[in-house]
Amino acid sequence: MKYLITILTITMMTTATMAQNGKATTVKTTFHRETSVSIEIKADPAIVWALLTNASDYPRWNSTVTSIEGNIALGEKIKLRTTLDAKRTFKLKVKEFESEKKLVWGDRQGNRIYAIKKNGNGTIACSMTEKIGGPMFPMYSKKIPSFDQSFEQFASDLKKESETIMSSK
Amino acid sequence: MTVELFNQEFKGIIGQLKSYILRITASIADAEDIVHDTYLKALDKLHTFRGDSSLKTWLFSIASNLAKDNLRAQKRWTENVTDITKEAALNNKQFFQEAMNIRMTSPHGQYEAKDHIALCFTCISKSLPLEQQLCVFLKEVYEFKVSEITTILGTTEAMVKYYLHTGRSKMIHVFEGRCALINKEGVCHQCSELNGIFNPKQNTQEELMKTDLVKEAEKGNKEHLFDLRMQILREIDPFKSKASELQLHHLEHNRQVMEKYLEKNDD
Repeated sequence: MKYLITILTITMMTTATMAQNGKATTVKTTFHRETSVSIEIKADPAIVWALLTNASDYPRWNSTVTSIEGNIALGEKIKLRTTLDAKRTFKLKVKEFESEKKLVWGDRQGNRIYAIKKNGNGTIACSMTEKIGGPMFPMYSKKIPSFDQSFEQFASDLKKESETIMSSK
Repeated sequence: MTVELFNQEFKGIIGQLKSYILRITASIADAEDIVHDTYLKALDKLHTFRGDSSLKTWLFSIASNLAKDNLRAQKRWTENVTDITKEAALNNKQFFQEAMNIRMTSPHGQYEAKDHIALCFTCISKSLPLEQQLCVFLKEVYEFKVSEITTILGTTEAMVKYYLHTGRSKMIHVFEGRCALINKEGVCHQCSELNGIFNPKQNTQEELMKTDLVKEAEKGNKEHLFDLRMQILREIDPFKSKASELQLHHLEHNRQVMEKYLEKNDD
């Protein structure tokens, strides 16, 4: 039992360390698919939060988002257009809004969760996770493209813009 | 600080303070009122001024707070403000008659392209969110440091950097798309058109080429062109330049048009 706990702990620690490298990972089950990415950013959490919550500004710095209409605030509805599926407009609701810590938006099919944590060394870990699925998921899952590349680009763009702002004079 | 010393130093700052408030409110009356109220408030609180910041920073802080109270209640303008106000001006004979009268009779009625470039920036900057607009003016035009702006606006250094970067980026993007001075495909030629109206004997192109902004345009360095635009604003006192009366008349027109436009298009 002790051996198992040790192995699990090592595995979790390794995952946590690797999770901040900006590389996306996807876990698939029959009824769900979950994609995550986490990246280390050398910036004040207020800057990252401001970027994540200023809807109209997204296309300026984020190459994966074509537009976001609406106000990113708790309970508000937004319309998201992405490069991943240019023809589709995602109508989403902001479900959680904890300043500089956690932002969740989603619809019936799934949620996207942004989380910001201070690393304690002047950097922060920003993660983005999207879990989609449900009982009907097997019927349309093949039509949904992989999020991995888009997530990695999102994380990279967020890091670049946040650190540019942080280092400005 | 004694009242005498305060009065003396206030005289040296009032010009910049007044132009700052004019540029963020686009209103002559608001600029005059807010500067007056800033003086009274500062005088009243003079005993609390410990010199932790410069007097200029302290006064800009008081003035910014007074202006923000007004501005928060108002709608922000739109990026295409110059299109909207141009259309209104073309349908308003009285506006042109008044402007021509100022041009012919006032010692501050000259038409200078540089002054119009500054006016244009003032109008378009009102499409930025308020905090971004204030940060851009405080840093780029009135040359405050980021640390001083945090004092003036009562916010964190991180947020000042965010507002500045975002506001600056947006303004660069808007002018890159609209301004024919720096982009041949730009849709707005107003400074050239107005030069043709007010200075018919001048060669407009030659006149425009006197500005570094136009001279450097072909190199296409957007950041540098923005800095040159800001240099124009730094060099102009909108209340005292040779073109001030003409431009203030124009600004007042634009403000009235935009207030009506925003009211009409209220969601």
